[in-house]
Amino acid sequence: MHAPSASISRAQAIVAALLAAVCLVPFAYLAALSVADPWTFPALAPEGWSLARWGRMLTGAGALGPSLSLSLGLSLTVAIASTAAGYVTGKFIAYHPWRRRLLVLAYVPFVMAPVILGVCLMYLFLRMRLAGSVAGVMLAQTMFAYGFSIIFFNAFWSARLKAMEDLVATLGGTTAEAYWRVLLPVSVGMLLICFFQTFLISWFQYGLTLLVGAGKVQTLPLKVYDFVSEANMYYAALASCLLVLPPVALLWVNKRFVFRQGLGTT
Amino acid sequence: MSEGREPVLHPPSASAPPGPPDAGGARASAAQRLRRLVGGDGIGAVGLVLFVTIAVLPIAVSLGYALLYSIGAVGLLSDGLTGAHWQVLVQEAEIWRAFGWSLYIAGATVLLAISLALALALGLHRPLSEGPLSTIIYLPLAIPGTVAAFLVFQLFSGAGWMARVALTLGLIDTPAQFPDLVQDPWGIGIIAAHVGLAVPFFVLLFGQIYESERVRSLMELAATLGASRSQRLYRIAVPILLKRAFTNVLLLFVAVLGSYEIPLLLDQQSPQMLSVLTMRKYGLYDLADKPEAFIIALLYTALVGVVIALAFRYGHDAYDV
Repeated sequence: MHAPSASISRAQAIVAALLAAVCLVPFAYLAALSVADPWTFPALAPEGWSLARWGRMLTGAGALGPSLSLSLGLSLTVAIASTAAGYVTGKFIAYHPWRRRLLVLAYVPFVMAPVILGVCLMYLFLRMRLAGSVAGVMLAQTMFAYGFSIIFFNAFWSARLKAMEDLVATLGGTTAEAYWRVLLPVSVGMLLICFFQTFLISWFQYGLTLLVGAGKVQTLPLKVYDFVSEANMYYAALASCLLVLPPVALLWVNKRFVFRQGLGTT
Repeated sequence: MSEGREPVLHPPSASAPPGPPDAGGARASAAQRLRRLVGGDGIGAVGLVLFVTIAVLPIAVSLGYALLYSIGAVGLLSDGLTGAHWQVLVQEAEIWRAFGWSLYIAGATVLLAISLALALALGLHRPLSEGPLSTIIYLPLAIPGTVAAFLVFQLFSGAGWMARVALTLGLIDTPAQFPDLVQDPWGIGIIAAHVGLAVPFFVLLFGQIYESERVRSLMELAATLGASRSQRLYRIAVPILLKRAFTNVLLLFVAVLGSYEIPLLLDQQSPQMLSVLTMRKYGLYDLADKPEAFIIALLYTALVGVVIALAFRYGHDAYDV
């Protein structure tokens, strides 16, 4: 039981307010820039406000609608595939006699920069004729998300879970029954956390998508950069809003799960 | 007996004829060891196949190809084995400057981010545990590198929002008088973007460790034993938080080292960070630059290997049971 909190000091309150403001300013700025009509130098605030840009987005201007759909489909697929694969592989590695050696191998796709490793992987993607395709981008992103998923679930598969599985076998249960009735129900929370994290890994991915997709797979991060390159800051802000909205919604729902044996691999 | 699964208990069978104890036992033991190595059951075998086909083989083949390309064994313009591409490391400083620049950015980011996160996590522990800040602090986790780079550019460039504030306050007369904070020789914009992304994560991580390790109780105990405030902070709280977060700090270092989206927008033209330089050498029209891209990738892989080794060597806590 925690004792009732004492009131915080004035200095703590001021710093806390400043920190909250710093956390909120990016979202407020992006939202303001996306509806500014216009916002030219040296004005501190937009000279006018308009939702016309958002309306044009919904009718297809800037191809943001298709990019949003593509990003959603890509990220959902990558999250499902990498979570499922990591769940199984994490178990294989966790109970393996060579656990530490295999874990070192699993760290490579997780730790390495996607762009640098992607440059090396391009040979395979070109040979398999996957470069410049959605399937190729999906496979490349899954590879990196899979590395995260293995490390995530490796910490999850413990001696306690092994004992539960062995108990099912002792009582005459099959493998399928062990998973369906015991392991999966116990794993639901962790599966959701991993799904959420691997979704974000794919959702935010820019460099690897640009490299493997050869610029043809126009996900939302690519659209942000395209608009920045065109000096179209208003649409860049709009695309940025679309990019951060789903993760904010997911965080709002799942924030209590984020640091429970998940993101911090300590 | 359940299908396809080893029973945990092996009741002795009175009807089994006694045979040579060692031969049968050794064969069964070897079979069991082999079974464990390849996954134990069907699900484990699937895990092995996935691990090899998705993680191990593609990366091994790719790094092998990169090595062969760098020594001229393969490639469109290859004339056979040569060390000429690796000699570029000696003759030109561009790659070493990129490594030095990236190491500086990564080191500065880690130092600033961890210091700030420690100060906030320890100084604002109560507001971060309860109240609106405990929720708001999660929001920056939703910002990707792409958007962070765009925001830093919008806020801190010569015509950005901070320049407008400075102009309004009379601190500057023209945008040119605003200090270079993006695409500058000190990497201020890049470091600011990375620190902005890292601090909320580490504030939350340190908060979680603070609770799970009962740091407050340890500090109270130390106070009872006569420790001063600074002793409680620097000899108890900070060492525990840093030790438990060591692996994550290393991962932050490696992530910034190989960062692409942020330096792509905020970095100067020379020197460039590793990922940007690698993409440039790989993707531009001069095919003669491609071997250098693979050399950078191989050197970076070696560096990452050292970091992973450090993480495994020092990442376990002595007091874990």
